[in-house]
Amino acid sequence: MTMLNERQQLSYIAAQAADARLNVELETDGMTLNIGPQHPATHGTLRIIARLDGEQVVWAEPVPGYMHRGYEKLTEVRTFPQVTTLINRIDWLGSFANEVPFILAAEQLMEIEAPPRAQYIRTILFELSRIANIGLFLGDLGVQMGAVTPAFFGFRDREYVLNLIEGATGGRFHPNFDRIGGLKDDLPKGWINETKQVMKRLRGFCDEIEDLLFGNEIFQSRTRGIGVIPAEVAKSYGLSGANLRASGVDWDLRRDQVLPMAWDKADFKVWTHPDGDSWARCWVRLQETREATKIVDQLIDDLPAGPIMAKVPRIIKVPEGEAWVSTENPLGEMGYYVISKGDLGPFRVKIRSASFNNISITPWVLKGVYVPDIITILASLYFILGDIDR
Amino acid sequence: MAPLSDTTDATTDASADDAPAALPGDGLREGIVDALRAELGDQLLDTHLVPQTDLWVRVTAEVWQQTGAVLKSQGFDYFCFLSAIDWMPSPYGDGEDDPSAADEDDEPAEMTSGYTGGDTRFQVFARLTDLRRHVGVTIKVDVPESMTLDTWLPTFAGANWHERETHEMFGITFEGHPDMRNLYLPGEFEGYPLRKDFPLLARMIKPWPGIVDVEPMPADDTDDDAEGGDGS
Amino acid sequence: MGLVDRGRMPAPLTKLFNIGRSYSMWVYQWGLACCAIEMGAAFASPRYDVMRLGVIPLPASPRQADFVVVSGTVTDKMAPAVRRLYEQMPEPKYVISMGSCANCGGPYWDSYSVTKGVDQILPVDVYVPGCPPRPEALLEGIVLLQQRIRNEDMGAKWRHEEYSSLQASNTRAAANDARKKALKQSGKRSTDDQPTPEPIVVGGGPIE
Repeated sequence: MTMLNERQQLSYIAAQAADARLNVELETDGMTLNIGPQHPATHGTLRIIARLDGEQVVWAEPVPGYMHRGYEKLTEVRTFPQVTTLINRIDWLGSFANEVPFILAAEQLMEIEAPPRAQYIRTILFELSRIANIGLFLGDLGVQMGAVTPAFFGFRDREYVLNLIEGATGGRFHPNFDRIGGLKDDLPKGWINETKQVMKRLRGFCDEIEDLLFGNEIFQSRTRGIGVIPAEVAKSYGLSGANLRASGVDWDLRRDQVLPMAWDKADFKVWTHPDGDSWARCWVRLQETREATKIVDQLIDDLPAGPIMAKVPRIIKVPEGEAWVSTENPLGEMGYYVISKGDLGPFRVKIRSASFNNISITPWVLKGVYVPDIITILASLYFILGDIDR
Repeated sequence: MAPLSDTTDATTDASADDAPAALPGDGLREGIVDALRAELGDQLLDTHLVPQTDLWVRVTAEVWQQTGAVLKSQGFDYFCFLSAIDWMPSPYGDGEDDPSAADEDDEPAEMTSGYTGGDTRFQVFARLTDLRRHVGVTIKVDVPESMTLDTWLPTFAGANWHERETHEMFGITFEGHPDMRNLYLPGEFEGYPLRKDFPLLARMIKPWPGIVDVEPMPADDTDDDAEGGDGS
Repeated sequence: MGLVDRGRMPAPLTKLFNIGRSYSMWVYQWGLACCAIEMGAAFASPRYDVMRLGVIPLPASPRQADFVVVSGTVTDKMAPAVRRLYEQMPEPKYVISMGSCANCGGPYWDSYSVTKGVDQILPVDVYVPGCPPRPEALLEGIVLLQQRIRNEDMGAKWRHEEYSSLQASNTRAAANDARKKALKQSGKRSTDDQPTPEPIVVGGGPIE
């Protein structure tokens, strides 16, 4: 069904060889390498236990849970407006994007819809948080391979985006700006002009990173053909976002579902890459950042006038029912399955976070790779600990 | 919400980068139900369709594993998530009440299930997506008394961690799963946190400081008053 | 420094050492959650640039570190590792607790898996409140820690005696006057027999 290219075949063979080696007597004395839970290269507190044969990983298993905060239980004892404060902190780099699917699910149950201006502003802020999120990824990527400069670039240009988010929402990190039925506030004066300039600057940043990093020979040789994930495997593990698109699956929830958001008003391209290796994942993310700046540019150009809040009761009681809404978050598909019993708070919220699925593939993909590649593969899969452990 | 079309043919080839010509409508979802019923017969207990929005089906525990395989063969090859629901009303209230004054009207609310009904306290539910037809389905199953279900692992490799998480949070065992260790919590942790009768100890000691947030405003007599309705 | 071992240090020498220590602090970054990104912004971004304060943010091991910034949610699963890494640090060592989660549990105050404050497992010197605190707040916490180090009596610290006689006698009052910030009394916070100093709270105000 799937045509594998040469790189994928080679990676397959390496994985099979590693698998076979486990079962054959030729196995040398293995060594167990414990990475983390606190290790500079693991983006936080993910622990990985790898069994090595020489320099090759024969078996690897991540141990999540060092950041498990019990969101799903805590949402059951919060009211609907209070939940957004909490879920902001799941994927802490793209906070605003976490709020949107939950609010949309609540709105779906209440059968209300935000006014067009609010939808536009939501989409703009959503894309800004995508840029803030992936901007840091692009900067951090180099650090995993020994290049420190991109990190400074990433942090520098990310600050501009954070300033925009702070200007509009009042929160640098955790805006908590989305309300059921609309938004807390309108955009401040002068924001649109500033946004235009920053978007231009961010496109420059993308070019800079592309020159600096993606054209670099060391970077290429450390990512090309490493950590190949074929499309079938990616789908059965539920990979999403750029990880899925880098495996050649053309699937983007911004385009492929109907939501009361403004993505269908903007013209953007969903980038895919056939290779499925680390390089493809990084490259797709780079293109995504560019597209996000374009979406923001287009949407602020035709921002409609009007109210930013629909008519909602002061005390929000969500009618009984169940709703599933997911959006294409910076890390991938993030969705909330909200069950309401007509109370002030949700009865149960299942949070489907992207990194949880994205990282559950690591035992498969790390099989047969070399030790230094663990770090690049993890970096390219791009996870955020809060998003795995919730 | 944008108008939806009932056209079922939404296949796009992988290189197309514009929106599909038609997004799924209810006709497509009914077709999915029919195709599933053809395979499962009366093991398909109930279906629920929210018009233009989403589809739920409920199957018996016997065909749980088979349902995954059947749906995968029908195009639902994207595994989204798997988890469980505890339908018992929480004995501790919704967290907004003062725990010290909780024992006044402890008439336990009746247990009701959500869409597609259900007979047991625990239900496992999962979601699959068809990336070609742009449609998803939520599959529910009642968990029998033995608290065991078959694993989805042979069909969807991604179910591994989700089933481990469900085991840890609800105490539901998945038969055939090789590795039911705790995923999140330290090994010595006792209890299943997402069950409704698992208490949050901090709340027992200290009432929720956010109670004031939900008290009705005394001066607010225009009911259904929207906040900021005329913004901008 | 045998003088320190014996617990006797001439005051001028102490001052000199303290100035040296306060401006060459190696920090072990303990990024745990959201605050780690703000800490990263403070340490690695060109805008905040912690190195101008004499703080070197890049040791990869706790064994070379003078102080640690615990930034983010400490969970019950993580707590033993946090404690162990703290024990690996050489004396004298200081702890900055960054963010509401590390201070007291923050938004997860009622969670079943979150440790309600890192001060349950380590003695904390500086609390930086916020969720997450801005990088500027962390920088102020570092500056306050440096002030404390400059006023410390190393001999007394080594003897595990009264925390800091130098500070107790003259400079605390001066610092209080200058900053007009109430240092919170918290005698019950001591974990070991070692007398713990009053913790500093960035921005003032009580801890609990």
